Amino acid sequence: MRRLAFGIVTLAILAAMPRPADAQQTVAPSGLIANNASAPVQAAGASAADPTPSTAQGTPAAPATPASSANTATSPASTPAPAPTATTSAPGDSTPAAATTTTAAAPESRPSSESWVTGNVDVGYRWVATPGGSFATYRSVVNLGSGPKLTAVDLTILQPSRRLFDSMHLRASGWGGDPYSTFHLDAKKAEIYRLNIDYRGISYFNNLPAYADPLLANGITLDEQSFDKHRRITSINLEIHPGRAFTPYVAAERDASSGTGVTVFQTGGNEYPIADTTDDATNLLRAGFRSAFRHFDATFEEGYTNFRSDQNDLTNTTSTGDNSTPVTGEKLDLTSLMQSYGIRGNSNYTKAIITSSPVSWLDVYAQAMYTVPRNTVNYQQYDAGNLVVLSELLFYNSEQYLVSSTTRFPHTTANVGWEIRPHHRVRILQSWLTDRMTNTGSATQNDTLLAAGATASSPGSTVLQTEEALNSSLTYHSSQAETNILVDAGDGLTARAGYRYVWGTANDAVLPADGLITLEQDGLRRNVEMGTLSWRPTQKLFLSGEAEVGESGGTYFRTSLYDYQRIRTMGRYSFLKHWQVSGDFRIMNNHNPLAGTSYKFITHQESVTLIYTPRSKTVSADATYEHCGYHSDIMYLVPQTLTPSDSVFTENCHRISGMFNANIKGPGKRTMTFEVGGSAVLTAGTNPTTYYQPTAKFAAPLTKNVAAFGEWRYYGFGEVFYEYQSFRAHLATVGLRYSR
Amino acid sequence: MVNPHPHRRRNLRVSGVVALFFLAGTLGAQKPTVAPKTFGDDYAGSEMCQICHEDNFNNVTHNNAHRVLDTDPRYGFQGHVCEACHGPGAKHASSGDISFIRFPSKLSAAETDKMCLNCHLNQPTHAGRIQSTHAKNAVSCPSCHKMHVNGGAQLVARKNADVNALCESCHANVKAQFEMPFHHKVPENAMKCVDCHNPHGTVRPTMTQTFAASEPGCLSCHGDKRGPFTFEHAPMKFDGCTACHEQHGSANPRMLIRSQVRQVCLECHANMPAAVPGESIAMGVVPPAIHNQNSPIYQNCTVCHQKLHGSYVDRFLLK
Repeated sequence: MRRLAFGIVTLAILAAMPRPADAQQTVAPSGLIANNASAPVQAAGASAADPTPSTAQGTPAAPATPASSANTATSPASTPAPAPTATTSAPGDSTPAAATTTTAAAPESRPSSESWVTGNVDVGYRWVATPGGSFATYRSVVNLGSGPKLTAVDLTILQPSRRLFDSMHLRASGWGGDPYSTFHLDAKKAEIYRLNIDYRGISYFNNLPAYADPLLANGITLDEQSFDKHRRITSINLEIHPGRAFTPYVAAERDASSGTGVTVFQTGGNEYPIADTTDDATNLLRAGFRSAFRHFDATFEEGYTNFRSDQNDLTNTTSTGDNSTPVTGEKLDLTSLMQSYGIRGNSNYTKAIITSSPVSWLDVYAQAMYTVPRNTVNYQQYDAGNLVVLSELLFYNSEQYLVSSTTRFPHTTANVGWEIRPHHRVRILQSWLTDRMTNTGSATQNDTLLAAGATASSPGSTVLQTEEALNSSLTYHSSQAETNILVDAGDGLTARAGYRYVWGTANDAVLPADGLITLEQDGLRRNVEMGTLSWRPTQKLFLSGEAEVGESGGTYFRTSLYDYQRIRTMGRYSFLKHWQVSGDFRIMNNHNPLAGTSYKFITHQESVTLIYTPRSKTVSADATYEHCGYHSDIMYLVPQTLTPSDSVFTENCHRISGMFNANIKGPGKRTMTFEVGGSAVLTAGTNPTTYYQPTAKFAAPLTKNVAAFGEWRYYGFGEVFYEYQSFRAHLATVGLRYSR
Repeated sequence: MVNPHPHRRRNLRVSGVVALFFLAGTLGAQKPTVAPKTFGDDYAGSEMCQICHEDNFNNVTHNNAHRVLDTDPRYGFQGHVCEACHGPGAKHASSGDISFIRFPSKLSAAETDKMCLNCHLNQPTHAGRIQSTHAKNAVSCPSCHKMHVNGGAQLVARKNADVNALCESCHANVKAQFEMPFHHKVPENAMKCVDCHNPHGTVRPTMTQTFAASEPGCLSCHGDKRGPFTFEHAPMKFDGCTACHEQHGSANPRMLIRSQVRQVCLECHANMPAAVPGESIAMGVVPPAIHNQNSPIYQNCTVCHQKLHGSYVDRFLLK
């Protein structure tokens, strides 16, 4: 990917390098725009397809007024792009008028070296003071390291000749070992193509001691459930003739991850931490076309995905696992393990979208999607040691466990909707959506347990051999129908009232049955009433309120929405020219009264934001405070006794964030920028946590094109119940920005 | 009869698709032939607007997507790019009276949207518009799209930081959620809101983006959780990731909705299996008695049930 990105950037810059011929070509369009107001329209209108110039439409060409002449000088600076007329003009369009303006414009043309690339490149160096506290948690939460960094690239490349592209925007950030690095490129040539390339690499480290080690209280550190992965996500989209009647497009996406970690091999009532490597990739290739007409548009897309996932767990080190208690006097251990997952899959999908506006008072939308993912799996497991089948107290010394499985998962989604406008102040929105999926899988499991002597020459005696064929099925049918009526009552007041009905069924089964797992079946029926009022009496004031009330006759899961009320209000007011205050309040209450569940859930958030942005921008500031509350109380059955108990989770949080910005004239009348602010989170309740991120930044121009910048940031994380997971760290970055 | 060259048929098919693709492209290259629209005396023309509004004119006609209004006859406003949105401007031009011109920012959201959708209705991005909460809650197009800015790429924010700032200007509560210690990397600008949400609306709840047609957009980056698994964990398919995870940010490890894993699991897995299928109050049966919650080993269910997103091998999601 890096090579590809480098190649594209190099190619783009080389292609954009103005040659002598290009420099001459730039003269005409720049001057054309700057000196003759009617010229762009003339040139555009005088194309071969449409021979009617604008002057023929009865609109006189505007004279070159002093005002427009005055703007000539500023036009190139504010408009670095060469005028579009250069490409829209047909070859034979060189009218005498155009020739005249071209000649006149020549002296004012920009130097070719000024406009073809603009933007900035930031490079710097970051120091991270050795974090105090838990370094594993620091890496799990922040994970920024020391070293030289390419902190940001933001370039706009305009090719004067427009041979390969009109404009190219290139952005990159976080290169140089940062946990999240991005690269993005947009290139387009008007009405010819539009190309987007996006890449992001995300390091995903997670080793939270309290989460990863179930025995931490005993002083045992196993780091189970930890991993250190790197995920790379790439997408390339190419549209041909964007904006035309037919726009074909093709796209390729890749999501790949690889890394190491510590997982668990679980057998015989014991868990053994095992080094783990994973490697997976999903490739998506899709192509389609959009056809656009005056009253009708259709999009058709065909896609194909390819999936690969490999996981390998290997150990030759003897481990006693989490459970060191002997079983009937025998101490359990694992001496070697080879566990391997090989998963291969693919899918193809079809998507069709139609939008239409057959008459002025009606818009219709419809879309249908059908996809069929399939997977085949080969699993191999060879383990040795002193192991036991706990349920039968059957000891063995080696095991060979092989599984092969296949899965097929057809999934159909369809949606139809329309907007009717019976009156210019009334709109009726209606939609229907259905989502249907059926997953059918089958697995063949072959398990052979051997007694001592399990070598190639002496395989040992078979203790137990089982072969089982399982069939699984998961079916989900869901639909919803919704109607909304919106009324524009005038004076900026809009009201909406709506009703939604949601219904569906679900089945989940694995056969033959084993233990308590049997067929699970359930249904969903929900009636929802909705309403909204929004009022914008002036540009300075906006108020809105939204309410939704739902009642269910059945739901899939105990914690799903059942009988609920949701309210949201929002307001924004601008005052004293430069100040704006906004507030947001939302609350949701969900209650499942069914016997055996008794679920009560309520969450609310209140926030207020104050923004100060004077026109001079010498100083500006913004601050947000939010208070939130979260309370959940549900009855559950304690597994070992099957007695009812309450699971309660509460959280009360205060979140504050803000930034103060000052622009101060420094030596040489260069403006220096200072920013101070950050955020703080304090929560109380089930898991009291604090998280502070104060920061200070500066940027000071050194020359016309070079500026120095710096940033200090502090991270402080603490948990009352897991103090050993707390950390604090200072980060300092300094660098140079080159911009033009 | 056995085909001695089976690959030829495949090659033919591929060639056919490629040919169709480029044929469509060639067709698309043809400009539609529409009779030029004639404008009455109430229209002034873009050049007239330019005399007083030079900056806005330049911004719209230079490297701005809306310049096609001025040049492409299909839209019916050739040479009248300003009046496409602001309405006939002859009276305003002759009198200077602003009451004769239309200000989209002062119209109601519905009127503004209708004006934009005159041209943009027939685009696939609006196929989910009916479900969009933006459309229902009077959030009009100019709330996010700035028409006069210079440069086509700036018609709407493109940089991650700019997109996030735009969304946060209304969704302050979500911004606050991202300040929690465990979060998606939005504040770091490694991600942007529209990576996960389509502001125009989708078929999925909360305007979530889709992956491979209709699947949750989360799978664009978490492809290893896509499956299909031989033994599925039903909430993954029905309720999606948010059944167990706070999607924006959380004080709980791995962005879970509860601070302890067993809470997440046992709150659903607390139903005795129904005697008669179809009569259960919800899905999710209670674990067997071996799961003694007094033992730390059983307090984190994922120690053993590693494949809780779904398993290809084990019905109990152990491996």
